[in-house]
Amino acid sequence: MRELPQKEANLFKQILRCYENKQYKKGFKGAEQILKKFPEHGETLALKGLFYNHLDKKEEAYEFVKKGLRHDLKSHVCWHVFGLLYRSDKNYEEAMKCYSQALKIDKENLQIMRDYSLLQIHTRNYEAFADTRHQLLELRPQNRQFWIGLAIAYHMMGKPELGIKVLATYEETLKDIPTKPDYEHSEMLLYHNAMLEDTGDIQAAFDHLSTIEAHVCDPKTLKEKRAQFLLTLGRQEEAVAAYRTLIAHNPDNFAYMDGLRKSLGLDNDNLTCEEEVKVLDVFKELQKEYPRSNAAKRLPLRYATGEAFVKTADGYLRIMLRKGVPSLFVNIKILYTDKEKEQAIEKLALGYLAALDKSKCFDTAGSSIEPPTALLWTLYFLAQHFDFKRDTAQALGYINRAIEHTPTLVELHMTKGRILKHAGDLAGALDSLNEARELDLQDRFINSKCTKYMLRADKMAEAEKTVVLFARADIVDPLNDLVDMQAMWYSLEAGESHIRQGQLGRALKRFHQVEKHFVDFTEDQFDFHMYCLRKMTLRAYIALLKLEDQLRSHAYYVRATQNAVRCYVALFDKPNGEDSEEMEGMTDAEKKKFRNKQRKAELKAQKEAEEKKAQAVLEITKKGGKVDEDPEGLKYSKTEDPLGAALKFLKPLQELAAERIETHLMSFEIYIRKNKLLLALKSLLKSIKIDANNATLHEQLVRFALAVQKAGDTLKPAVKSVINKHWETLYQGKDLSGFNAQFLAKNKDLGSVPHLISAAIAVSLIHPNDKTKAEEILFAMGEDKYVSTRSLENCLLSMKTLKSLRSNRLQEFKTKAAKWYPKATAFQS
Amino acid sequence: MNIREATLEDMIPMQNCNLHNLPENYQMKYYFYHSLTWPQLSYVAEDEKGRVVGYVLAKLEEDPAAEPHGHITSLSVMRTYRRLGVAEKLMTQSQNAMRDVFNCKFVSLHVRKSNRAALQLYRDTLSYTVQDIEKKYYADGEDAYACRKSLRE
Repeated sequence: MRELPQKEANLFKQILRCYENKQYKKGFKGAEQILKKFPEHGETLALKGLFYNHLDKKEEAYEFVKKGLRHDLKSHVCWHVFGLLYRSDKNYEEAMKCYSQALKIDKENLQIMRDYSLLQIHTRNYEAFADTRHQLLELRPQNRQFWIGLAIAYHMMGKPELGIKVLATYEETLKDIPTKPDYEHSEMLLYHNAMLEDTGDIQAAFDHLSTIEAHVCDPKTLKEKRAQFLLTLGRQEEAVAAYRTLIAHNPDNFAYMDGLRKSLGLDNDNLTCEEEVKVLDVFKELQKEYPRSNAAKRLPLRYATGEAFVKTADGYLRIMLRKGVPSLFVNIKILYTDKEKEQAIEKLALGYLAALDKSKCFDTAGSSIEPPTALLWTLYFLAQHFDFKRDTAQALGYINRAIEHTPTLVELHMTKGRILKHAGDLAGALDSLNEARELDLQDRFINSKCTKYMLRADKMAEAEKTVVLFARADIVDPLNDLVDMQAMWYSLEAGESHIRQGQLGRALKRFHQVEKHFVDFTEDQFDFHMYCLRKMTLRAYIALLKLEDQLRSHAYYVRATQNAVRCYVALFDKPNGEDSEEMEGMTDAEKKKFRNKQRKAELKAQKEAEEKKAQAVLEITKKGGKVDEDPEGLKYSKTEDPLGAALKFLKPLQELAAERIETHLMSFEIYIRKNKLLLALKSLLKSIKIDANNATLHEQLVRFALAVQKAGDTLKPAVKSVINKHWETLYQGKDLSGFNAQFLAKNKDLGSVPHLISAAIAVSLIHPNDKTKAEEILFAMGEDKYVSTRSLENCLLSMKTLKSLRSNRLQEFKTKAAKWYPKATAFQS
Repeated sequence: MNIREATLEDMIPMQNCNLHNLPENYQMKYYFYHSLTWPQLSYVAEDEKGRVVGYVLAKLEEDPAAEPHGHITSLSVMRTYRRLGVAEKLMTQSQNAMRDVFNCKFVSLHVRKSNRAALQLYRDTLSYTVQDIEKKYYADGEDAYACRKSLRE
């Protein structure tokens, strides 16, 4: 039945071409024409299904492809089509099964093999990928892509030496090497060199460079590699020269300057006095040679110490203050990990201010008169410096003086906002940011920052109104456009604001948006597998594969996960809604009353919102936009299995961020609630390995012990014996009270508020009827030694803890905290 | 401020920088496309902590009808990192790579007609010349200045 008469056979060929050319409607019609005469022709049925798929009819697509296959099980076309259908739905496993079936029928079909290999590399099945690429090369040894594909397969399998062999063999077969530099050929040669480097044989990689030099059209990479290899090979003099050449091309590159320093043998972590002098001399020379280089001016501050530091910093600060560089402080503050440097800079800056006030010079020793802006930028610098030290009063003093000096400078108002934010006055911070924004309505940056502060102050409506100010006029639904454009910063900030407002569904919706972006980044990769082989940008392609493999360890994903897990855990604990912050510490009756009141207000607001929304929906649909069916995120907040959903979010981090303690702390929160004690134990053991003295870990350990106690005899003997085996590691032979006392004693001199909080929570769990002990522990934070960790965040956390204990000393705490943070609205009664 | 060739890892922070600063935004795949096609042409500026605070995203215009030339897709520096000549340094590195790697004879770019600050940077600091005004170049209907700079020494 597969053989069609001449006329239909031709038509069939035509519809295949239609598919390749993406003429789906035309192809669909052709298929129907054939099926009119031969309604049971399997391959045509399958193709009709594939056309359906591209015309967005999923159900029909599967129906017809399956029907086609039933009529012609021995057709490789039908299996191939089935594979393509699965692939388009990202069901790679099933797709691969189909391809493999198709290849059993038509062993040497290049197209299917190629498609198959794309899936194999996409799913990182390197062994199978190498197999397929090997077959392809055997079938078509004259095809460059097949050689390269095999080399990549070996490289990714961790066998660069085999990859090199493949490339070398291919290079030998090349009869006419391009005479003038050819980009693709050049990229292949550089890839060959990169693989040599990966074998660890740097001498070989170095020698190879000179053989390819004439054919490479990327002079910068050649020079970088040469310099790097010379340094590794210990040929220091040549390396010095090589790095100097690179610096001449880009005198603002840290890596080149580092390379030069190392080539000069000045790469110890602790430089001797003599070496320090040498390093500083090198940079002095560079400054002379490259007067516009910022790196040559800034880097010596890393290496200078003592008197030399003061001198170098003095020179640097003066230049930058004179010029008025707004990023000066951000650029300097990283040096403050060294207290001596911090003090030196403070002394210098205060000195400038005194001298400028007196004589308009940076010192009183008769230096030149500075421009009036020097005073402005010095005040600005000092404001940031004292904000860094959380000395709000001084910081505000300086920034207000600066604003008086130049009221229209956007940066000043931004910094004032930042100071107020750090002081806990979110509304005041927002006002400052809004002033800054209004000073420059053309600048999206300040608009974005202002939006962020609105979200921090939980002013969602204002934030939404502000963020869309920079949407292009042609965009129908600008808020949704932010999601389309993958604006993760906005999703994260908005989500965190929703959490604070107890809107967990909306919050989760935001965090899932971030997750979806990461799914898309991974999917985006698919088209590049073939693309890079064609373009020959192989070094970049290898970087892509490696990047994709650990993409989800990115800070944005981690932040989304931590928040999502928090939400899901809260949904599990309180399926009827998370207590908002105001509700903490209320009795159940009070909560009920409060909820009722809230509910009424919500209903009213909802009615108004719905009327507005109906209007908006009408407008959006008129313009062809999409309407959000679930603005509340009920899909997430009403999930049957919040812990399962949390785990799904967390899984990538368990694989990719196992070195971060947060990963295991989150895992524990999920497993302990699922009553999976062994998995909870495993999380604890991993956390202990990373940081046995972590504050949160302590609280979790106590909760674990209590859970084991509670389970008592219901524990399976096997489980019990595993837990017993580790008991000593967990609790060092102490009972819980003793364990907590030991934790407190150990951290007595640490002066860490988070440890106090953890110990207080632990003690309240061990002795649920006695809160005085917990209160006592928390109030110890008033002692002087806790001053450095008595941050605003930690004070807020402490207050939250007291509220959840329903402590009678809450007001007393607020009064204390208000003294530490007089501007913080949270402590004002 | 460290000025260096952009890697694929830089694409997420570059997109973030773009979304904070500019009205013209792109999806991640477009950034990846740049980096995987012309890995030598895009540059980033990072601060002492290694955060990307400025970038230039650039490509090769491969119109078979015209001479091969470079094109600046997007350039942006966070407001708080201005006055250090970062934009100019990013542009210089990218332009050099266009010339050295792809043998480009000139580089082109578009500026919104309303964006005076950007026009000033390109025309006065980087010596671009306005070639033409492209009517309704931007999706919202705004005109663009089409600018060019020769890369011959």
